[in-house]
Amino acid sequence: MFRPFTPQALLGMTAALAAMLLLPLLSTDPYLMHVMVLVMIFGIFASAWNLVTGFAGLKTFGHHAFFGLGAYGSALMSIHLGLSPWLTLWLGGLLAGAAGLLIGTPILRIRSMPHVAIVTLGFAEIVRICIANLSGLTRGEMGLWGIPQFQGFTLPIVGKVSFTPADKVSFYYLALALTVLTLFVIVRLMRSKTGLAMLAMRDGEDAAESLGVNLTRLKLMVFGLSAFIVGIAGGFYAHYLSILTPQSAVGVDLMISIIAMVLVGGLGTFSGPLAGALVLTVLIEALRDLENYRLLGYGLLIVLIVMFLPRGIVTLRERLTFRQQEQADHGR
Amino acid sequence: MTTDPLMLDVQDVSVVYGSYQVLWDVSMQAHAGQVVAVLGPNGSGKSTILKAIMGLTPVRSGRVIFNGEDITNRPAHEMIERGMSMVLERRRLFTGMTVYENVMLGAYHKSVQKHAKERLEWVESLFPIIAERRDQIAGKMSGGEQQMVAIARALMSRPRLLLMDEPYLGLTPRIVGQIADIIRKVNAEGIAVVFNEQNVKLSFGISNYGYLLESGRVMLNGTGDEMMNSDVIRRVYLGE
Amino acid sequence: MNLAIFLEQILNGLISGSMYALIGSGIALVYGTMRVLNLAHGEFYMLGGYFTYYLIVQIGLAPIVAIPLAVAIAFCLGMLIQKLTIEYLIVRENWAFTTIAATLGLSIILQNAALLMFGEQFNTVPYYVSGVLAIGDIRLPWQRVLIFLVALATIGGMTWLLKYTRLGWSIRATSQDRDAAQVVGIPVRRVYMICFGLAAALGALAAAMLAPINAINPWAGMPILLKGFVVVILGGLGSFPGAIIGGLFLGVVEAVGVQLTSSEWRDVISFTLMIAVIWWRPWGVFGTK
Repeated sequence: MFRPFTPQALLGMTAALAAMLLLPLLSTDPYLMHVMVLVMIFGIFASAWNLVTGFAGLKTFGHHAFFGLGAYGSALMSIHLGLSPWLTLWLGGLLAGAAGLLIGTPILRIRSMPHVAIVTLGFAEIVRICIANLSGLTRGEMGLWGIPQFQGFTLPIVGKVSFTPADKVSFYYLALALTVLTLFVIVRLMRSKTGLAMLAMRDGEDAAESLGVNLTRLKLMVFGLSAFIVGIAGGFYAHYLSILTPQSAVGVDLMISIIAMVLVGGLGTFSGPLAGALVLTVLIEALRDLENYRLLGYGLLIVLIVMFLPRGIVTLRERLTFRQQEQADHGR
Repeated sequence: MTTDPLMLDVQDVSVVYGSYQVLWDVSMQAHAGQVVAVLGPNGSGKSTILKAIMGLTPVRSGRVIFNGEDITNRPAHEMIERGMSMVLERRRLFTGMTVYENVMLGAYHKSVQKHAKERLEWVESLFPIIAERRDQIAGKMSGGEQQMVAIARALMSRPRLLLMDEPYLGLTPRIVGQIADIIRKVNAEGIAVVFNEQNVKLSFGISNYGYLLESGRVMLNGTGDEMMNSDVIRRVYLGE
Repeated sequence: MNLAIFLEQILNGLISGSMYALIGSGIALVYGTMRVLNLAHGEFYMLGGYFTYYLIVQIGLAPIVAIPLAVAIAFCLGMLIQKLTIEYLIVRENWAFTTIAATLGLSIILQNAALLMFGEQFNTVPYYVSGVLAIGDIRLPWQRVLIFLVALATIGGMTWLLKYTRLGWSIRATSQDRDAAQVVGIPVRRVYMICFGLAAALGALAAAMLAPINAINPWAGMPILLKGFVVVILGGLGSFPGAIIGGLFLGVVEAVGVQLTSSEWRDVISFTLMIAVIWWRPWGVFGTK
């Protein structure tokens, strides 16, 4: 991970960023903007889950808890305390991050993957049921609606920026800013000494510990950071859609979609989660008529990917070229 | 000895774990009634070759021939009916089960099941401890006692070839002597034994042929005397 | 609080707990032998419920025929699914994660297949036995008594199977040491398949017995799976006797907890208990290190 990016990778990143920046100049179609905003929300969520699962090797299955905490936390603070969504977005993230530290604590002592999976899944279920049951505060299964929008502001040159359902372009750029920020943080982290320690931990906890890695602090840090990022994504989701239900914001279906995205894109890669979010979200929108088969498709994808393409589509090209190389070697 | 029929013929076997090659074209042979020692330091592949013969680890290339049949990469449970059984490293008993259950599991395979009763009597005659401690939980026994149960379990199928992975590992010198006696006793019943061990002197007390493995390759092979007199062994392993 | 009502709740807790024990012991059986955490286990419960419903309500079979048949179908389905998926993943290097991910995918597939095939309505089955057992002031419907008796018989049968049959010996040997089991001639891959089938059958049996009380729907699997996890955490992951004790214990804890709060907090109580146990004794309350 210390390796500098290859020219191709740098070119790819620049091209992707430029394309994303320029897309609204080609079309500001609200539907296109909406799909792309969803892609980026899921992309942030998927990248943060990939940070703990793919890079740090802590296989958790309950990150939807943090999405829900960020979403409901930010929404409720802006409704009941009258705070600006610009502030509550970060407060919701902090709430999710704190919950991440809390649930990270029992996981610290456990090295057994099934135990980690069970604890995280159980914790998410606790969060979901609490949100559903505390209907005085959250309106429960009825759904929390009327969540305030981000306040608009005026920028030089661009002019007035407003966040209304009619104007999706400003949401698009805000989501893009959050995505770039997330990716920047993750890439910086993974290319630091801490990132190297994380990879060492993933590949062998005992070995990492013997090299002087403080596993406890590292696991807590990664878990907290990842939960914080997911919480931010949740908060943005809440103020973007301005309606939340326990099922949509903390349902296990959400987690499954994210897992499918990361596995399709490639676990433990930088671009995989984003590629997976893009491919699956766009695919689902393209096949809208088959909405009833959406989750069935996700399930099938997960099974097929782990069985036949365990490293995701972003490694597909590498695998193909590798095969050709191998064949060439055999030919000699 | 070499006039006895060839029983086990390992031909150019290679084993690869992930991206790490453990065995490189290893060949070795064992004749009926022989005791063969596989020598080598830690990490030389001397455990892997036994596991590869038994079918516990996949063979990348080469062949394993047993009694004239190609058994390369056949599952371990088939070896029982072909007349091979194995004592694993560190004994590996079913520690939560009784001595009786452990030994009887040695007769699990269908081809052995019908002889279970007579085999138990035979094994009990070789190891009286099996009858004495019948209902003890195996995990609660001492290391030497566990090794006897493990050997008894492997003998229940009345194999023609017994593989033993580091039979002396973790045992006190006195117990090592007992286990060596047992290996002689087993061999006296007409069973060929292939075992591996780090200590050259210990090995040639009981074996009549040996192979020296280093970094996954056969460096040397010969009878006990030939091996003991070889320069490499004398210099490196006996420190002379 | 009235003592009779309190005792009645405890008994009801034990009865629910006996079903949790069946669910948990299936998870324990699969984990114990294969070290695979089966996230699709709840779906065998859900499908078992549908099999029972169709055989009894749609086809009109008597419960005494329909239930064993439903359990048998689940057994075969479990073996088939194991053979098609886990069988290949378990020999790979990163099997621990891929098996969890694959069973999660399977769970979603089965859940949504059920939704497409059976629709989203909630189905129930008529009571298998009617009437109420009265002991003093304590009143228990015979249906619940029957559930408990079937659970006891099943646990007894499973214990006998594990302790005295050839199959049972091979399961116990495989769960204690896979390599040693192979070396004595046990075909461990077949043991895996049978254990997966047995686990599915246990889940389906629980669903069949609960079908008259709990409505069957495509989403019934996930909550039951999580309950099963609580059970195996209490009993020590992979321990069959632990799962039995853990199940009964959880049933009673929930019954008492619901008395103190209300039924909508039942699941929060059990999941909190589970996290507390993992914190305090990761090897289980009733397990050993």
